[in-house]
Amino acid sequence: MNERDLDFQLIQRIQNGEQQAFTLLVRKYQNRVANILTRYVRNSGDIADVTQEVFIKVHKSLPSFRGDSAFYTWLYRITVNTAKNYLTSQSRRPPASDIDVLEAESYDNSDALKEIDSPENILRAEEIKQVIMETIDKLPAELKIAITLREIEGMSYDEIAKIEDCPIGTVRSRIFRARDTIDKQLAPLLEE
Amino acid sequence: MTEINEQLSSLIDNENVESKPLDALIGNKALQATFSRYQLIGDVMRNEKAINIDISEQVMSEIAKQPALVTVTTIKATTVEVVKPENNVISFVKRFGQYAIAASVAGVVVMTSFITSSPSIENRGIEVLNTVPFGGGVSPVSLQANPLQSQKALQDRHERLNALLKDHQLQLQVKK
Repeated sequence: MNERDLDFQLIQRIQNGEQQAFTLLVRKYQNRVANILTRYVRNSGDIADVTQEVFIKVHKSLPSFRGDSAFYTWLYRITVNTAKNYLTSQSRRPPASDIDVLEAESYDNSDALKEIDSPENILRAEEIKQVIMETIDKLPAELKIAITLREIEGMSYDEIAKIEDCPIGTVRSRIFRARDTIDKQLAPLLEE
Repeated sequence: MTEINEQLSSLIDNENVESKPLDALIGNKALQATFSRYQLIGDVMRNEKAINIDISEQVMSEIAKQPALVTVTTIKATTVEVVKPENNVISFVKRFGQYAIAASVAGVVVMTSFITSSPSIENRGIEVLNTVPFGGGVSPVSLQANPLQSQKALQDRHERLNALLKDHQLQLQVKK
């Protein structure tokens, strides 16, 4: 199952009336949408509101989504349009050029966020990052390699299995164990 | 729980072919939170993560206030009634009536074309034999021509030709 298949499965469930499936779509994409919005919405306090507006529009438009393009491409268009409407409502001119949907994935907005975000949020983000990176450093080598090849290099389980010379099941297990270890440190921090 | 979490982990990596973790996720808030944290880990590792928001509950609460998303539209089957004529034979009177109307129209068209297409004699610049009878119709000449009139016309024509010929010869003699 690739990302597109998973999205379509979720969308089908939503279209069949299973509203809770939409929660997963929101959880899956909310941070990506927020990251795109940071290019347009300079007031950090508004980002969550505009992100929410994006997902409400997505929900309204889902019955007409036919799957001709990937869900993320469609979501991206709605995000950019919502951001432009937001700027218009704020009597501001939208940027002359949009970020391409592919560029959006690798768009480095960390500097912009440092400027706009509140000190509390920056501190919290740094704290989260520190916990995650420190936990990764402490992971056994095979887990660290597996999670790094997956998350940073974007390799499939099959490719990692060939590199590590182990079965795919072992790769699956190592990646999960790495995530689970990090999650145990991360969860209490996010619950605070 | 560990098993479902492992399936969730491979689902995030798009490596899961089963729909079981998806089913579990939809009805389980704790799993959904784990799903979000697993994604957050990836985002931070890729240095993409800058803001961590969770608006899922607000979105779902807003959506709940709105009308239902899925509106089942049933397309009613429309019955097309084919009305079969009681009798396939068209009545003679009806058909005869159609022929009569068609013939009348054709007659009017022919008469109109005769009247409008023949120019009036008065408007002609030169004097010609009027072959159009009083009624406006045209009949073959052979049936209508007067033999006496024809002979007289021929005689006039001969006289005129002779006169022209004599005149021509006279002019030739004068030139010589």
